[in-house]
Amino acid sequence: MRIAVLRPQVPFARGGAEIFTDELVDELRARGHDADLVSVPFKWYPGTRVLTQAFLWRLLDLEEADGRPIDLVVATKFPSYVVRHPEKRVWLVHQFRQAYELDGTELGQFGPSAAERALRREVQELDRRALSEATRLFATSANVAGRLERSTGLVAEVLPHPPQRLPYRSGRSAGFVLSASRLDRAKRLDLLLEALALDPSLEAVIASDGPDRGRLEDLARGKGLNGRVRFEGRVSAERLAELYATCSSVYYAPVDEDFGMGPYEAFLSAKPVITTTDAGGPLDIVTDRRTGLVVAPEAAAIAGAAAWLREHETDAAAFGTAGKTLADEVTWDRAIGRLLS
Amino acid sequence: MPPETSGIADYSALLLPELRRHLDVEIVKRGAKRPPRGVDLVVYQIGNNPDAHGWILDALRRVPGAVVLHDFVLHHLVAGVTIGRRDGHGYLDAMEREHGVVGRLLGHGVLDKRLPPLWEVRPEEFPLAGEVLGLARGLVVHSRHVEERARAAGYEGPIARVSHPAWPEPHVEPAAIDGSPLIGSFGNVNISKRIPQLLEAFARVRREHPGARLLLVGAVSPGFDLDRRLQRLGLDGDGIIREGHIEERRLWSLMAACDVHVSLRSPTMGETSGTAIRALTLGKPLVVSNVGWFSELPEGVALKVSVGDHEVDDLAAALRLLVERPEARERMAVAARALATGEHNVARVAERQAAAFERIAGGVAVADETLRDVSRAAAGVGIASGSAEASEIARRLTEVGLGD
Repeated sequence: MRIAVLRPQVPFARGGAEIFTDELVDELRARGHDADLVSVPFKWYPGTRVLTQAFLWRLLDLEEADGRPIDLVVATKFPSYVVRHPEKRVWLVHQFRQAYELDGTELGQFGPSAAERALRREVQELDRRALSEATRLFATSANVAGRLERSTGLVAEVLPHPPQRLPYRSGRSAGFVLSASRLDRAKRLDLLLEALALDPSLEAVIASDGPDRGRLEDLARGKGLNGRVRFEGRVSAERLAELYATCSSVYYAPVDEDFGMGPYEAFLSAKPVITTTDAGGPLDIVTDRRTGLVVAPEAAAIAGAAAWLREHETDAAAFGTAGKTLADEVTWDRAIGRLLS
Repeated sequence: MPPETSGIADYSALLLPELRRHLDVEIVKRGAKRPPRGVDLVVYQIGNNPDAHGWILDALRRVPGAVVLHDFVLHHLVAGVTIGRRDGHGYLDAMEREHGVVGRLLGHGVLDKRLPPLWEVRPEEFPLAGEVLGLARGLVVHSRHVEERARAAGYEGPIARVSHPAWPEPHVEPAAIDGSPLIGSFGNVNISKRIPQLLEAFARVRREHPGARLLLVGAVSPGFDLDRRLQRLGLDGDGIIREGHIEERRLWSLMAACDVHVSLRSPTMGETSGTAIRALTLGKPLVVSNVGWFSELPEGVALKVSVGDHEVDDLAAALRLLVERPEARERMAVAARALATGEHNVARVAERQAAAFERIAGGVAVADETLRDVSRAAAGVGIASGSAEASEIARRLTEVGLGD
């Protein structure tokens, strides 16, 4: 089958959606499909640029390429699903969140003027029309599916995908907390740094990069965490697998996250996850005292969880093992089987 | 808004608290000449009752805005603000504007009392909604029926179809009224509520099911001789229970006591029935006329009876089915509750209505900017206005709602 995987691309940015779509193309090819990635740059500001840039997708003709038909397209996140195709399948990573649950928060985009309020509603209307054209509608997590149903009335099947390929393994804990989340405000690394400030026995490694790195490094210095938190930036696959294998727990506490590969990566390394009650997608698989610890989004609670998991190695290992059982169930064979059925 | 007494006032009171979760809302009360300063949008709740909505139409004439159109037929409203204010010429002008010279002549016939009032005998043929549509920057309607009639009348502005909200289930005890089963009809007792047909159909059913009783709640309209009709049909015994105008709490209590609700209408002004919505809240099976908004109710919650020659036969069959099959009533009750808490959920309705108001308030500016941006980009690569490529772009914009 000839399949186009559709991905909006913010130039120079790389995160979970990019990893997911790259691997989806690889996995489709590995199963004998003629798959390719179709990417269009996306800029969502200023003013109505969010609509006009989204509209670019509508002008694409993906019914065939080079004289041969494209049998199916897989749209992923806003605005790739604005594309038109008779076999448009949507595997929804997320909608344009600034028009929904982030509206009115510090992560929102639209101001209080009549024009900006209307612009937000036009984005919602665009979603409703474009997504209702899908021949199958999947969401990467129950959180994403729930948001979709609340905002548009459309019902999606929950279809998680495996995390990025790494040489996952499990090893003896070296006692540090690991975070591999992209460094932006929504991932709430501040909470982890504040937790470290509360408990001088805690140590952390942050193995990622992002626009918030400078601010977070300043915050760590300001709190006197030098030596107890290490910013390693983006690391190789081998190094990341090593960090997962040797940490005592993985911190993953974004606000109302869509899906969250972090917990899957932690579980494939048989490590427990610390997350928060408002984390969203990760709560699909992180269950308190079964696969990790789910605590209030407060520094003291996170500090307590990190210390407890470090000091209770047997329980931590049991949580990690239980998580691995869940993560092992999420395979590309199963996901692609459902996607194309 | 209350203390005004109308179904639309009840509707507004129900919706307002939820709407305020999304929007800053200021209420304009009767007598105000101008809307408050600095508002982005003025919203007018328009129905067909001149006593309740005449002043709102006056305000709309001064400052156009969004219209929540509760009825499509506004003949009674227009007559009230013209003939009712000794402005016969205004009525003639309205009739001519929408129905040409024939309309004007018919208007003369009404003014000269040579014809019966058209708003009573032929309102659906002469809806007189044109002036309101002409002043509306956008419409919110409750049904496909009203949306289609507005489009058919040439309205080109934005229309949002937003369901009527359902009231939360009240904590009331069902009134102690026997009936096996008890069938209820709520609202004015008159011809347009199809009370003659209902009485005749019920009389037939009761001959087979003497335990069945009919509860008629509402004021009897002038000229409608209910007692004589009951007597003629042999329903003047204990088969019928009557209550006149009642307070809201008593209304809920009586509605809760009924096993089946009947909500008939013809002609329809395009209205949504507040009592039918209340019946959904209570999980009551409905029998309705197959007209307007009523015909759009899902099949699972209502048996629909066509108006016409076989109306009494069909109505009797529907009542008989619900009298004889309690399991069907139970299925419909479950579906009714699901509809009330789903599609008609007040929070959901408020969110949709807020979306509609925000799009009406700022949508033109957004559309203009979007189209300007796209046009500039197209022109930049040599796509001329009117070319095949420009048409393709326009078509794609329309597909996703950006070219409306």
